[in-house]
Amino acid sequence: MMEGQSVLLRNPASHALWRRIIRHRSVYLVASISFIYFIIFKYIPIWNAQIAFRDFQALKGVTGSPWVGLKNFSDFVNSYYFWELIRNTVFYSVGKMAFSIPAAVFLAVALYECRIYGLRKTVQTMAYLPHFLSWVIMYAILLAILSPSNGILNDIIKAFGGEPVSFMTDTKYFPWIVILSDTWKETGWSAIIFLAALMGIDPSLFEAASVEGASAWQRVRYITLPAIKPVIVVVLLLRLGTVLDAGFNQIFMLYSLPVYSVADIIDTWIYRQGILEFRFGLATAVGLFKGVFGLLLIVVSNKLIKRYTGNGLY
Amino acid sequence: MAGTIRLTKSDKFFHFFIDAGLVLILAVLIVPIWSTLTLSFRPNDFIGSALDGMFLAPWKWSTAAYRALLGHRSFLSAAGNSFRIFFEGVATALFFTVPLAYALSIKTLPGRKLLYGIVLVPYLFNPGLVPNYLLVTKLGLSNTLAAVFLPGAVSVYNTLIMKSFFEELPEELKESARIDGASELTVLLRIILPLSKPILLTIGLYYGVHFWNDFFNAMLYINDPKLQPLPILLRNILLSSGMNEYVEASAFGEAPIYAIKAASVFLAAIPMLVAYPFIQKYFVKGTMLGSIKG
Repeated sequence: MMEGQSVLLRNPASHALWRRIIRHRSVYLVASISFIYFIIFKYIPIWNAQIAFRDFQALKGVTGSPWVGLKNFSDFVNSYYFWELIRNTVFYSVGKMAFSIPAAVFLAVALYECRIYGLRKTVQTMAYLPHFLSWVIMYAILLAILSPSNGILNDIIKAFGGEPVSFMTDTKYFPWIVILSDTWKETGWSAIIFLAALMGIDPSLFEAASVEGASAWQRVRYITLPAIKPVIVVVLLLRLGTVLDAGFNQIFMLYSLPVYSVADIIDTWIYRQGILEFRFGLATAVGLFKGVFGLLLIVVSNKLIKRYTGNGLY
Repeated sequence: MAGTIRLTKSDKFFHFFIDAGLVLILAVLIVPIWSTLTLSFRPNDFIGSALDGMFLAPWKWSTAAYRALLGHRSFLSAAGNSFRIFFEGVATALFFTVPLAYALSIKTLPGRKLLYGIVLVPYLFNPGLVPNYLLVTKLGLSNTLAAVFLPGAVSVYNTLIMKSFFEELPEELKESARIDGASELTVLLRIILPLSKPILLTIGLYYGVHFWNDFFNAMLYINDPKLQPLPILLRNILLSSGMNEYVEASAFGEAPIYAIKAASVFLAAIPMLVAYPFIQKYFVKGTMLGSIKG
């Protein structure tokens, strides 16, 4: 790139670099818009996170409040709700994974194998749609099914002579409502990545299989499922990286006082303590605990993904 | 020969199994939506169970709930706020996302790795709710619609999808413009953006749907009832058992409260249902692009 012209220059490498920088000056100009956004909206909060180590007082501000060391952290770890929050959070993350990933794999394989065009397109359209509904809307849909007075499920129970059940406020049913409603909402969307992997299968494999006389079941067992196995592993590892995100919007919309013991997750607790009770230092410490732990999990899962597929996420 | 016949039978059963599975999935997806929809059209004088309501003939449906909502001041004001959040949010998000995606897509840009790192760090490490809350309130964004969309105006995921799209555009087009003496900014505005309409539409709608659905930021930062967007009003309507301070009986007229609840979510979902077909065709492509390494 720089041979010939650079012979006379004292430091050709840096000269070429400068020329490249100057040539791209307008790119830096427009990118600085996004850069400033990132500094303000993404890096100032990281700076603000230091109040996890302070006794935050609004009047004294972030840097003026007195240091308290790890007090906020030890308050959290030693409190009686610590294990309950961790348990609920991990339970919902793992529970959702256990239901929605097998369902998504089945849906993707079924859509891929289905020969009826109209059925395939209708299921695809209907299955992706709920991903775009907010949990406020989901709550209304759940009410139409589960409400003791108007829900169809309670209607069926009453038709069989049973007593209507208040599902949403019962600790027995609440965890199932959370897991199954998430499966209902997100399975279609999760299936897309498997469907994309299926599209990439070499068709000659299927031709060879049919020449060999393989049945459709054997095709799925020995070609289709092995082809998406790496994607399943990557999706599982990705979910591992976000295991502490159990779905704030969902739980917040669905839960109520009677089910707090089985519903409360780290994020809903942070919201109540930080925003409603003004315990900023404590809530920040828990958020930071979650952030650092989440970072570790993502780094580990990315390492595993890199080892497994040869390609990392970043 | 017998073997082949048995195989065909097993293949037939396989396809029956697959198709029956899909029909079942379809039913599971449709029944809850249908029961909510019929609930929203149920007339005030309806007698019978919820199951009867699901099979009520369409000519017996009542639009009272929809008329009540569309004639109500607080619903119209919330819808107006939501539309403003949608359009202002999408414009802001694209304004911040496009330059970033473009800069990251130029392989020869000095400092590209550093920029990538700056983008990635907050993506991997989230300092949590309270530090963000302190920032937004400190910036004086409380009780502004911008508080709903500004904190989430750049999504790293969307940026990477857009970057991959820019990278796929033919290099010769950009090169020929550069040889003609065009600056990088001109290349972006005159060549890249006109070719990127599909991705701008898709990413814009991704952002838009996200802002339209958001109730958390609105709940955190907006107290002024005049500025409340739809999800907050919806939530208040849904959580009101019977009639309370949010939903006055007289205000919503003839419709039963459960019909109002159901109708309000369908009205709120309409803009998304309109946008949905436009983005649906990019789902699979977007997923594949998103999984490409930076």
